[in-house]
Formats: sequence, C-alpha cells, structure tokens
Amino acid sequence: MNIEKGKITGQQLLFLIAGFVQGSVLLIDFTVGITEHQTWMVILVGLAVSTPFFLSYVMLAKRFAGMNLVQINDMVYGRFLGKVVSLYYIFFFLLTLSFNIRDVGELYITFLMPDTPFVLLLVVFTATCAYAVSKGIEVLARVSHLFVFIGIFVIISTFPLLLDQMDFSNFLPFFELPFGKIFQGVHIVSSVPFGETVVFLAIMGSLNNTEHVIKRTYSGLLIGAATLLIVAVRNIAVLGKTQTIWTSMSFQSIRLIDIGTILTRLDFLVGIAQTVLIFLKCSLFFYALAVSLSQLFGLKSYLPLILPLAGIEVVIAATVFQSPVDHAMITQNAGIIYSIPLMFVIPLLSLLIAKIRGLPKFERGKGT
Amino acid sequence: MGNKMNLPIMKLILWFFMLFTLSGCFGGREINDLEIVIGIGVDKNESAGNILLTAQIVKENETGGTGKDGGGEDKAFWNVNSTGNSIFEAVRQITHKTGNRLFISHNQAVIFGKDIASEGLEKYIDFFLRAHEMRPTALILIAEDRASDVMDAKPETEKFPAVNIEKLVESYAFTSHLYKVNMKDFASCMMSDTKAPMAPLVSVMQDKENKDIYVSGLAVFKKGRMVGKLNEDEVRGLLWVLGKVKSGVITVSSPNEQGSAVLEILSAKSKVTPELKDKRIVMHIKIKEELSLSEQTTTENLATDSAFERMQKASAEIIRQEILAAFDKSKELNADIFGFGEMLHKKYGNEWKALKDNWDDLYPSVELKIDVESKIIKTDLLKKPAWQSEGGK
Amino acid sequence: MFRYIYRKIRCSLLKNIEKRMHQDALAGKNNSEPIFPDLKRNLEAIKGILHNSSDVTIHEFNFGHDRRFKGAVIFINSMADKGEINKNILEPLMYGALLLKKDADIDFTDIDCVRKNLIPITDSRKVTLFNDLIECLLAGSTILLIDGSKEALVINSGKRESRAIDEPVTEVVVRGPREGFNENVNVSIALIRRKIKDPDLCVEKMIIGDKSKTDVYIVYIKSVADPKLIEEVRRRLNRIKIDAILESGYIEQFIEDSSYSIFPTVSNSEKPDRVAAKILEGRAAILVDGTPFALIVPMLFIESFQSSEDYYSRPFHASIMRIVRFLSYIISILGPAIYVALTVFHQEMIPTQLLISIAEGREKVPFPAILEAFLMMFTFDILREAGVRLPKSVGQTIGIVGAIVLGQASVEAGLISPIMVIVVSSTAIASFTVPAQTDSGTILRYIYLVLAGLAGGFGVIMGLLVTLFHMASLRSFGVPYLWPVVPFDFSSLKDVFIRMPLWKLKKRTKVIVYDGSDSYKRNPG
Repeated sequence: MNIEKGKITGQQLLFLIAGFVQGSVLLIDFTVGITEHQTWMVILVGLAVSTPFFLSYVMLAKRFAGMNLVQINDMVYGRFLGKVVSLYYIFFFLLTLSFNIRDVGELYITFLMPDTPFVLLLVVFTATCAYAVSKGIEVLARVSHLFVFIGIFVIISTFPLLLDQMDFSNFLPFFELPFGKIFQGVHIVSSVPFGETVVFLAIMGSLNNTEHVIKRTYSGLLIGAATLLIVAVRNIAVLGKTQTIWTSMSFQSIRLIDIGTILTRLDFLVGIAQTVLIFLKCSLFFYALAVSLSQLFGLKSYLPLILPLAGIEVVIAATVFQSPVDHAMITQNAGIIYSIPLMFVIPLLSLLIAKIRGLPKFERGKGT
Repeated sequence: MGNKMNLPIMKLILWFFMLFTLSGCFGGREINDLEIVIGIGVDKNESAGNILLTAQIVKENETGGTGKDGGGEDKAFWNVNSTGNSIFEAVRQITHKTGNRLFISHNQAVIFGKDIASEGLEKYIDFFLRAHEMRPTALILIAEDRASDVMDAKPETEKFPAVNIEKLVESYAFTSHLYKVNMKDFASCMMSDTKAPMAPLVSVMQDKENKDIYVSGLAVFKKGRMVGKLNEDEVRGLLWVLGKVKSGVITVSSPNEQGSAVLEILSAKSKVTPELKDKRIVMHIKIKEELSLSEQTTTENLATDSAFERMQKASAEIIRQEILAAFDKSKELNADIFGFGEMLHKKYGNEWKALKDNWDDLYPSVELKIDVESKIIKTDLLKKPAWQSEGGK
Repeated sequence: MFRYIYRKIRCSLLKNIEKRMHQDALAGKNNSEPIFPDLKRNLEAIKGILHNSSDVTIHEFNFGHDRRFKGAVIFINSMADKGEINKNILEPLMYGALLLKKDADIDFTDIDCVRKNLIPITDSRKVTLFNDLIECLLAGSTILLIDGSKEALVINSGKRESRAIDEPVTEVVVRGPREGFNENVNVSIALIRRKIKDPDLCVEKMIIGDKSKTDVYIVYIKSVADPKLIEEVRRRLNRIKIDAILESGYIEQFIEDSSYSIFPTVSNSEKPDRVAAKILEGRAAILVDGTPFALIVPMLFIESFQSSEDYYSRPFHASIMRIVRFLSYIISILGPAIYVALTVFHQEMIPTQLLISIAEGREKVPFPAILEAFLMMFTFDILREAGVRLPKSVGQTIGIVGAIVLGQASVEAGLISPIMVIVVSSTAIASFTVPAQTDSGTILRYIYLVLAGLAGGFGVIMGLLVTLFHMASLRSFGVPYLWPVVPFDFSSLKDVFIRMPLWKLKKRTKVIVYDGSDSYKRNPG
C-alpha cells in the first residue's frame, strides 16, 4: 500500500533530477583538489560511467511501476533480506542528508555570514526542508523547475561576465595527471553527484505513467551534468593553477567579476542559487528518508516522522565532522566506499533478480 | 491542513522567535560600526621580525544626511598604524586604536614596502588570500620606499589615496608602462614553479609641498623575494610578448632625420609559440600592431607610402628592442617573467617534467625569434602638416 | 500523542457547537405550519410573529358581489409601493370584481383563480406556509390573504431605493466602461446579462443567512464552466451557517480554501466587464444582495497582476505594464528586507562608493537599521490607514504634513537616514500597484523584514522558500494557486508576464479545470 498519494509527471521528474544534480555544484570542489585542470574530463567520464547504473535505477522503477524503494526491495529480496537492504538505504539517506545540510552551513559560515552560530543555520534550514517535505512530493515536483531555472540562469549569466578573465590555455596540457588520480576523481564524481540519484528510486514510485521515463530522466541527468561541466570549465579557465588552494572555486571565480562599477560583488547570487539547489537536494533526500522509513514500519502517513527526523538530522549534521577539512577528507576517502554497493551493485542486482524471477508478480486480490 | 496546522504553526513561530532572540542578533554589524578599509600597507618595523601595518580607513563626515564635505582641508580618511608579528595579529591590534574590527571587503589595494618585498612576501601574503573578507580582485603593489608614506599622500582629484592608486593602476592601458596585478594573479604566479611574480611599483614624488603618487614600472620577484625591477620600456617589452599592450606612444625619428614622428598604438596582438628542438628552447614571437600618426615634429609630409613604410619599420625595430631589453633584464635577474616555462609545459607536457627542475639554468639559454608587423592605419585629422618644408608636397 | 488528545478535544467541542446550532434552528420558528383558512386567526398569528412592529401595515377590505368576501393586504410600510398596491391589487378586487356578472365563474376563495383572472401583476406566486409568507413579507412583497383560503398570494410590488450606477471607487480605469455594480443585486445581474447575451448563462439563486435571508446568486456559463466546480461552489455555499450575510466578504471567508493563509483565494470585483470576462473563462461569479462587490472563484495568484485595462490597450504597452507590476510587487515585499539584509549582514555586496554614502547618511541615526525600517514602515501604515478615514477637507493637509514631517524633518533631526526614507516610500508606493495583494503584501513585508534583521540574506531566502512552498500547495477550488507558473504550462504563459496580442490568446485561457483530487478538502466546520 503506497503511502504517497500524489502523482508527479515525467516532465516534473526531469526537472527534479536536473535540480538534484545541479545541487552538487559545490561538491565538485572536492574533486578539483585531486584532478586540477582535468576536472572537466573527469566529469564527462564520470557521466559515462554512471550512465548504465542510472539506467538501471530507471529500469527498476519502470518495471515496478508505482512502487517505491522499500516495496521493491521486499519483492526482490524477500521479506527479511529486503528489509535489511532497505535499512541500508535508509542509513545512507540519513547520513548523506546530514552531510548536505552541513554543507549549507559550511557555505554560509565560510563565505557569506561568518559570525552566525552554526547550529542556528542548520536548524532553520532543516526546518524549512521539513516544511517543504510535509507538503508532499507533488508540491516539490511542481516547484522544481523554478529551481532549475534559477540555477541555469546564474550559471549562464556569470559565464560571459568572466569571459575576459578566462585563459583557455589553462586546460593544457591534457592528460597530465597520473591515472590513479583520474580514477579517484572519476570515482568521486560518479558517486557524489551522479550516484546519489539512487534516491530517486524512492520517488519514481509516484510517477503517474512510466511511458517516456527513460528519455525524460536521462535528459534531466544530462542537464544537470551539463551545468556541472560548464561550472567546472569556467572555474578552470578563470582560476587556472590557483584552483587547488581555494576552499570553494565557484565563489572565488564569481568574486573576480568586476565590470564597470555595477556588475561587481555578485557572489551572493551564487550563494542564493547554491542554497536553493541544495535545498532541493536536501528536500528530496528528506522525503525519500521519511517515506522509506514510514513504509518500512508500515505507517499510514509519513507526516509524523518528519519532525523527529529533522531533529535527528540537525544533531548529526552539527556533530559529525569537526571542520570542513574533515568533511572533505572523509567524503573523498571513506564516503565513496560505503556508497559503492548501494549505488552500483544493489540496483543492478535487483534488476537481474527481478528479470530472472519474472517479477513483479501481482497476486490476485492485492492492490498496488 | 488548515485547521490541523493552527496550533503547531503557532508553536513553531513561538519557538523560532525564542531561538532567534535568545541567541542574540548574530552576525550583523551595523554600517556605522564598520571600519571600512580601502587600502592596506605593509612595512617592516624597526625591531626585527615585526611588521608595521597601515590601514586606510574611511572617515564618515559628521554632517550626516547632506553629504557635503566640511571643507577642502578635511581628510575623508585616516591612516592607522599597528605592529605585530603577523598580518592577522597586526590587524587585530588595530582595534586598540579604532574600537571596531576592520572591514576589509572593500579594500582596493595592498601595498608592500620595499623592505618587506626584498625579504620575501611568501610569509605575508597568506592572510590576504585566506581571509574571507578579502577579495581576489584587490590590487597588489610594491612601494619604492615605505608603504606608509604612499598611504599618506592625499591626492587632488580623489578622496582617498588607495582609490587614487587603484585608478592609476587601471590606467595602465594608456601607456602600457605598467601592468595591473591582482591578488589572484600574484598567487597564481607564486604557485607556479617557473613563472616570476610581478607587481607594479608605486612611489611618492615630492613636488614643492604637494606629494604626488606615481605608479610606473614593475617589480620582479623570484619565489616571493623581490630581486629587481623593470623600467617603463622593459615593462612594455614584456607586455608586447604577453599581448597585453592596449595603447601607448612610440616615437620614431622621421624618415628625413630632421625630427620625429609620434605614433599612437591602437592595438597589438601577440602569438608565442614555444619550440623544443634537441634540447634547444626557441620561442617564436609574432607581434602584430596597429598604429596611428598622432604628432610629428618635422615639417616633412609623412602621409606617403614610403614614409609610412619607413615609420613602420622603425617602430617594429623599437618594439624588438624593447622586447630584447626586457628579455635581457630577465636573464640578468634569472626570472621567467614571460611565463615561457609555463608555455613549454602546456605544449610539451611530457618533456617538461625533466626540464622544470633545471629551469633556472635553462632559462638564460632560451632563444627568441621575434617577428613584428606594424601597420599605420590612420593619421587623425591632418593629412599634411600645417607648416611644411619647401619641396615637401 | 498530543495531537490525538488535541483532536479528541476538538471533536467534542464541535459536537457541542452543532448541538447548540441545531437547537437554535428548532427553537425560534414555529413556521412550518400552514396558513389557516380563517382570516382573523391568520392576522393574529402574523401580528404575533412580527411582534406588532409598527411598520407592518394590515389593511382589511371587503370585495366581491355583495361585499361578502373578506380579504387583507399586508405589507411593510417602507418597502412596498403603495400606488402599485392601490392600483393593481385593491382596485381590481374592490371595483373590478363588481363589474363582473353575478354568475361569472370565479371562485374568490381560490387564490389561483384570483391571481390569474383579477390581479394584473406579473410577479406573483402563492404560498401555503407561514414560513414562506413571513419571509416574503420581510423581503418587501405584499401579501394578499383571503378569508376561507388556505393559501396566500405573494406579490412582488416593491420598489427599492438604491444608488445610481456609478463608477466604482476602488477600480478606476483610464480606458474601459465605467459602470459598476450596485447594492441591488438585480441591477448587477442585469449588467452582466447585458454583456453576455448567451442562453447558457445560468443564474442560480440561493438564500443564505438565518436572519438576513440574503439573496445570493451564482452566475456561470453552463457550457464553459466545469460542472464539478459549480457543484463544489454550491456545496460550500450550502454549508454556510450564519445569522447574517452583510457583505460578500462574509461569504468569501466561509468558502475559501484556506482561512489561515494570507493569500486570498477568492477574488472580488465591482466592475461588470471584469466579472463577465472571468465568467467567460469558465469561472463562477457569486453576487450578493446588499453589496456591489461580486466574488469570483477560483482565483489564481497571477490574476492579481492582470487588470482589465491590459486587454483594452495594445499588447506592448500592456506587457510593459505587467512587468512593471510584477517588479513593483517584488519591491514592495522585499524592499526593506533586502536593504536591511545588505546593510547589516552583507556589506561586502554593496559597491564601495554606495556603501560610503549610506554610511554617511546613517551617521547620526541612533537606532539599528532594522528598528529604523520597522518604525518607518509602521508609520507609513498608520498614515495610510488614517488617510482612508479622513474627512475630505482635512485630506490635503495630512498629506503635506506626512511628507514634510515624516520625511524631511526626521531626516534632518537625525532620526532616520535619507536612504531609508527612499526605500520605504518606494516600497509603499509600489504596494499600491497590485491592489488585490495589498493585505498579503503588508504582512509579508513585515515578516521578511524581521527575518532579514535576524538572519540576513539567509533568513530572507528561507522565508521566500517557505512562502513559495505555501503558495505552491495552495489550491483555490481545486486549481493550483500558482498555475501556470508552478505546474508549468508553457502555452498558457502567454498571458502571465507579458500579454500577447489578442489574436494569439486563442482560447480565452485554457479552461480552468477542476482537479478533483482530495487534497484540497478540509475538515468541515
């Protein structure tokens, strides 16, 4: 019995995915420390690498139309193992959500509003997220295209403004870095922006029809990836060698815009776009978390879980890392390891098992 | 949802207010509590190891609302000094004199005194890159003597010396005798293994009672230590190679050797191609420029094809001389100001790994092949000079 | 758990309220009784019910051959047209009947017979219950009672004083018709009928209000409006239990989707051309007797930015005006908030020169920026509220006093900085460009200002997000409030931010479709 009664259309799903991937714009900064001026390459390769996995999520959702993650796991792995797998996913959502919330806090603390108490930022942000989630996935989906437009607008408008400061020879030489670094970079890119789309397994259950779902979702992914690529290219071209020393490349690039006396000091624009996009990302994670958890426990609605989960998230986000350095280290090194099975192995496995066992089979008398 | 959410919403609002008010109005600073810094100067203090920090702070006028100046004598700024072992420490020490924290987001320029520059900037530049209030667009300059002197010189047309300095640096396009370097560029050069960082030089000229600020020339650094400077012609030679010449003046002697023709540079483009052949490094430099005849001191009519050709060749020769002068100076200082190393790196990625450690030894052996193409495309309003010599038709 | 307890308490409270209302309904009316055949008893009963009010006039008369039939005419003195009664009721009965032949086949005790043959009035009907009789009497009709008949005849002979059709004060246009609705709902409906001469235009009458028995009409075009929408409107109107409907605003508050939202979900208008345009789009209009303001459901947010003038002038100008309206709405809600956020939290975003000017202006001000902004905005709201109620003779003076005292003098005294004056006055002026959202705009302005003062840009962004989600989840009679921007419908955007030429707006808009999903339903009561 599906908890969520709202329905979303394919086009809204497209924008949700695009906005979700765009929300990871600042997270690419983790890779730049490793891959320097070949980040754009790494993004492209990462996109290629994660395409099959992404398609596996979509095929899974298409096969089990109208069912969300927990139900799929139950069907594929049986009652007990399915619940274990779902718990693994829920744990992943919980942690990643708190990392993202912390990201927003760090963004503000470092750049925009440094004297603010950290916890307050986290609390306000999480509370707004909780409010958005309590409205349901329908409202989120309806609003998603606005966020994507904001993101695209900011990126597209800052690109020409920085043209005169760009030095395209910063991309040379190609293929300079050792393969080990590239591999690590690809790994990070395919798991952090692209692999996190596994959260949509919990959301695609609300699609009203799954006809063109593959085309639509993949276009969403492409739009998001294109945004990331443009941002990476802009940062490499503008900052050149200094990329590796700054905490956040995007901000420093924008700070260099100085045209006339008016088009200057635009970093807040990026701050706004970033906040809004990460907000979308966090809301989606939060929603997936709430729905999966309540589905697991067999509740009728996920609304009562929202506030307690918000509280837990704030606590985790406030205490999990000591500093942004810690955050970067753990995400680069440890984070990708525990997410590998989740993003790459399990969905493919589920798809295979489903194909072999001929699922989904619906018994007579049981509704979806 | 309407009725159900009534009580929870009120609880939430109440809670928000408590949260906000109990934690205080954080993060906000009223405008009048700011000390807006528009220029920073760093010098070495007498006692070794200490630095003298001069901050130029905006002083708001007391006639609030109408914004009129109190009179010609009132300065709109004041310079505050403080000492410390590191920049951040000195910045905080300033609060002993100002009472409020400095607000350096609007800082226009950072001026380092010559003594600090010769000692090595790498110790002092970190603060300016790391502080979140600093913007990478702030300019960096080196004072001929002491930075605090430069900060004191009140300009005629601007309210603040730092803003004046920034304006002067921005005007590099008019003569191409100096170059604008901001924090990000400087840091970028410092991070490079081979490229030499540079910064414009600023000096104070005493002209009877008036102190004028004069910005010209570039200081050359090697790994953060100032090792020498380029004079105006050498700077222009450098800019020719980098393709950053926007305008300027070239004076050539007129074809009949009786005076000179003054040409204005309208635009210039350069293309540098590195070539690595059997361990010989050759840089092919191709320069294209467009000129206009702006003034002539001879009475000869220069608006003829042959005269143009002669003048073009002469200006090309001057350019070549400037470039060679710059190159010679850089060889003398053994500083890669052109960025040849980086260009080689970009083109010959593999070979570069072997070369880069010996770059100091290899640099003097770099050969230049210069090819200059000049064109005079206009002569402004006069076709022929007003005062012509006989037979000058 | 607390919610469970809370709900239980609410349920029991509601049950009490229902019980009381039911009792009220039963108590005061002994009205489902039929009319007595005996005239005297009827008159006594009527006098009793109306507590012998002095403006109820009862005129007994005899008519018929030999004057053997007794009758009575009852009317409210101030509301009935006495000339009409004399000429068209009393005269035919008292004189005209005498002219009939003695054995004419007319039964004077049969109301129907009398009505069809003797009373030359078009608007009449018969009633059998006291309830209906009293209702019609109080509505201004004349009652004819005949001794021996169990029925009474209700004759609508009333004339009614009402205002002349005038230009509405609140919706002034440069180009377009200048007539406005009236307090007399029949006149209003007539105006609409003149604009839409289509047989599909349906006018449904309902009577709402226990003591006021106000006439409420639902007007819609049957072939265009969604039947589910009309059904829903009827359902919500029927649900209203109140003693009096004095103005359409009462009805608005009962039928709107979310009473706790600050955004209006029911629009109103005084102009027939505007109402007619909306009816033609498939909406339903609700006209209430006693007020010129008609309600129109459903309402979308973008309608607040559309004025009927947009369609009467040419597209480019209209588009520019639309854009100006959007921008001024944004300025009016975010102006002071952005100013405070920038100058208190994010001074690095302001260009240097501007920052120095602002700092100079704020030199003498003793308050923090947020307090200053709050005071100025509050003062302006006081001015505005006072301005509405001023007697006209004093109006000009107050305007000048307001400008000089509050603006200039406070700046010179050093209480307010000049930039704040500019910001708040532009905000205030901008708030008048979008009249439908004035109330929500006022509240939002204060909220954003407080958020900006507490948390700077972050607070404003969070506030905007919350507002966005609130509006996106709001529905007006099933239609999403932010359509076509939020459920994105590109083809319908032609009329939102700009106004495409009329020949491009092929259908008037996409038909407002009532989305039958359950999420709009609220717990009744």
